Amino acid sequence: MITKSTALEVLNEALSTGADFAEIYLEEDDQTTINMDNGKVESCDDTLTRGAGIRLLKDLRSVYGYTNNITRAGLLRLARDLSASFDGERLLTVDSITKVRQGKKHLPKIRYSEFPREELIAMLKKSSDACLAYDEKIVRCEISFAFNYKTVEIFNSTGKQFGDVHSRGRYIVTATARDERGIETFHHRPGAQKGMEFFLEEVDLDEEARSAAQSALTLLGAKECPSGKMTVIIGNGFGGVIFHESCGHSLEASSVSKGLSVFSGKKGEKIASDIVSAVDDGTIDGAWGSGNIDDEGNPTARNLLIKNGVLTSYLVDSFNGRRMNEPGNGACRRESYKFEPTSRMSNTFILNGKSTPEEIIANTEFGLYAKDMGGGSVNPATGEFNFAVNEGYIVENGKISYPVKGATLIGSGKEVLLNIDMVGNDLLRAQGMCGAASGSIPADVGEPTIRVQNMTVGGRGGTIK
Amino acid sequence: MISYKKIFDKAALEGLEALELYASETRNFSFSLFRGELDSYSISDSASIEARGISNGKIGYATTEKFDSTTPEYLVSRIKQNAELTSSDDPGIIFRGSERYRKKNVFNKKLSQTSPEDKISLMKGFFSAVTAKSDKIQEVEISYEESEETVTLTNSFGLRLSSKVNYAVVFAQAVATDDSGETKSGMMFRVLSDPDEFNTEEAAAEIVNDTIRQFGSGPCDSGKYRCVFSGDAFASLLGPFLRNLSSDEVQKNSSLLAGKIGEKVASSKLTVFEKPLEKNMSFRYFDDEGVATSNKTLIKNGVLQTYLYNLATAAKENRESTGNGYKEGGSAIGVGLRNVFVKPGSLTEEGLFEKAGEGVYITSVSGLHAGMNAQSGNFSLIAQGFMIRDGKLAEPLSLITAAGNLFDMFGQITAVGNNIKIRMNGFFAPSVLVRKISISGK
Repeated sequence: MITKSTALEVLNEALSTGADFAEIYLEEDDQTTINMDNGKVESCDDTLTRGAGIRLLKDLRSVYGYTNNITRAGLLRLARDLSASFDGERLLTVDSITKVRQGKKHLPKIRYSEFPREELIAMLKKSSDACLAYDEKIVRCEISFAFNYKTVEIFNSTGKQFGDVHSRGRYIVTATARDERGIETFHHRPGAQKGMEFFLEEVDLDEEARSAAQSALTLLGAKECPSGKMTVIIGNGFGGVIFHESCGHSLEASSVSKGLSVFSGKKGEKIASDIVSAVDDGTIDGAWGSGNIDDEGNPTARNLLIKNGVLTSYLVDSFNGRRMNEPGNGACRRESYKFEPTSRMSNTFILNGKSTPEEIIANTEFGLYAKDMGGGSVNPATGEFNFAVNEGYIVENGKISYPVKGATLIGSGKEVLLNIDMVGNDLLRAQGMCGAASGSIPADVGEPTIRVQNMTVGGRGGTIK
Repeated sequence: MISYKKIFDKAALEGLEALELYASETRNFSFSLFRGELDSYSISDSASIEARGISNGKIGYATTEKFDSTTPEYLVSRIKQNAELTSSDDPGIIFRGSERYRKKNVFNKKLSQTSPEDKISLMKGFFSAVTAKSDKIQEVEISYEESEETVTLTNSFGLRLSSKVNYAVVFAQAVATDDSGETKSGMMFRVLSDPDEFNTEEAAAEIVNDTIRQFGSGPCDSGKYRCVFSGDAFASLLGPFLRNLSSDEVQKNSSLLAGKIGEKVASSKLTVFEKPLEKNMSFRYFDDEGVATSNKTLIKNGVLQTYLYNLATAAKENRESTGNGYKEGGSAIGVGLRNVFVKPGSLTEEGLFEKAGEGVYITSVSGLHAGMNAQSGNFSLIAQGFMIRDGKLAEPLSLITAAGNLFDMFGQITAVGNNIKIRMNGFFAPSVLVRKISISGK
């Protein structure tokens, strides 16, 4: 997007007052969103974003700025404004820039821009019809289909140039069921960092839509979940949000390095039950949170976070790594040029254990089976979290007994990890958008079916005796 | 940015029936302090044009941040393509203009002219005030974020409206540890239109008190309790409740308040206004379609007064827009609100505790994106707070869940406090007393 000579000039301008590191991040992102409501295209929206972020580091201070004006003059002005926040002497000068060779994974086979939009809309319409036809109580089907093609270029004061391309697509279907008992909604939202081939070959949109309809109907007939402490079986796939929220965020260098995380200084210590191992893996081919490089140019990695219950690694970006004496490990991400990058998760999940999901249910005398989870949040200082159960069932005498709604799981990350007493062998990943300091980024959560002892369940269906 | 005329000319040449450009320019300045020292510092300027146009009676959208000779072609060709693919029943409307607009100046020069150094030293003073108040405070993170936003709406009917606003938000988070090693965190925020408005001592006292008063907290017994919701907690629930006033939700059969105009939908203690013309950071004299906004009563003594309309939903019912057409993330126009005010009652917050006698005071609820279903009204949210015993605050509570149904809960408000102020979500809300809420703890 800019020439090497412009990059050199801007980096050297940025370094003029004593910064020890400078970086230019450029991005152009062509995004399309199609919204359908009960089979009709409500809107079709194209957005082209383009801009640059400049980051300067000096010891433990960072300075960041961004602009849409990526001309030489615009970038030089931003570099000058940012460098004014330091008042030292120049420490280094960049003489030349070399392009770094890197992987070329995660590229689309069929570019969304080359797939006819009429055909795509016909596919969405067909799935909407399948959802609405599932049952007369299904009163509304909303579909959103979004895809993008994002090109990234990074130049930094070590004299290196990096580049990457991200093309993602996601289908979100929301089914609303209504009868005299009330209104319930349920959604499915598969996505990948692949091209249109993902929706032609790997995902059956009609099936996704029907399944959302079925779950919304189940909720209509569900009883309110009872509350109290109980055994909770958390389903595979999006159930991994428990790990993402209660543990993953607390392993990010942004809070670890400042002593703000419950896991600060705990490397080598046991933080989870012996049967728990977990990774963050930004290298998985075509996965939602993958990349060839992270957003500061480091190659992405498969980082083993927990091995048999012992904390083995944090997620580190090079700036926060300065406080920890650790190099960045490919976990530095940002939503766009409008965000200063920091340590974030990519595809984070608990690894397979030995039990089958059937065994886990059969071994549970009484408990809640949280088959599908909603989102959640965590307080990184205390590790306290909450998340909603989208689809839940009461398990009695080793069998799934009846559906429940309105359940919330609450607790603290520290305790829950230690209270996992069974881990299934059915690992599945699911797509989410993770929001934190550097914006909203695509991230996979995941896990096999797991069982947690003595978890607090919130609900309106009375207290468990 | 770029000449609008070139875009309008291109649109006319390509046969668009109407075109609207919604241009926004934003400048931000922010920094944060960690342990009292400058930790991050950021400046930015960004601009975008969100365009909507009518082609063959249908509406299409395109947005760009790329301003060069290709911009008119990009916007106009994408609008045409997208309009053709649209099959919505919603009429595509570009607005000709309201009869009267009530423009006011809400731009504060002093805020933008105060130097970055002075703003940083103000926040350093705040840091010192926080740490001086208690030796239990381990960490304090303070962030200061200032924005200047200019929005200009122009269209091919000659309408041209512009609004410029600036404000700063101070946000602080503190972590405290007591002798037993228990860790608690608290936070505080202020919205400023003038740096002199910031009262360092008062803000420091608030965050320190909010943090250390939580020590020794735990769950209470599960059961049904009389509840006082703090203004912050109540504001969090009011947002999802008011979503049901959207004419879009009503027309699409997704609102449980459909058909309830003139009926009682909440306790007679509750009156709620929308005041977009109030002079503050959320002031806007036109909505995102160019319709003049107006102050109005949404709920009066518990009785629903109106739904909220944009041009498209109003046209379906053959009535006028209420000036509530706002973009919701994308370029498409949804239904939104600015400056929600709850009419204050007569009791102080302490008065509410007294009136409750025995019960639970909920200071905050979290996890709304997961635990709140605005359509059914069912919620189950992690909460923090205190027991109320003998009309006074008693031991702190954590790891509890407050669950109920919004529509039931709003009907059971038995008193409204007089402590109205701006809350985290921008609503001006007081504390309220609710007859009965399910709390699960131990």
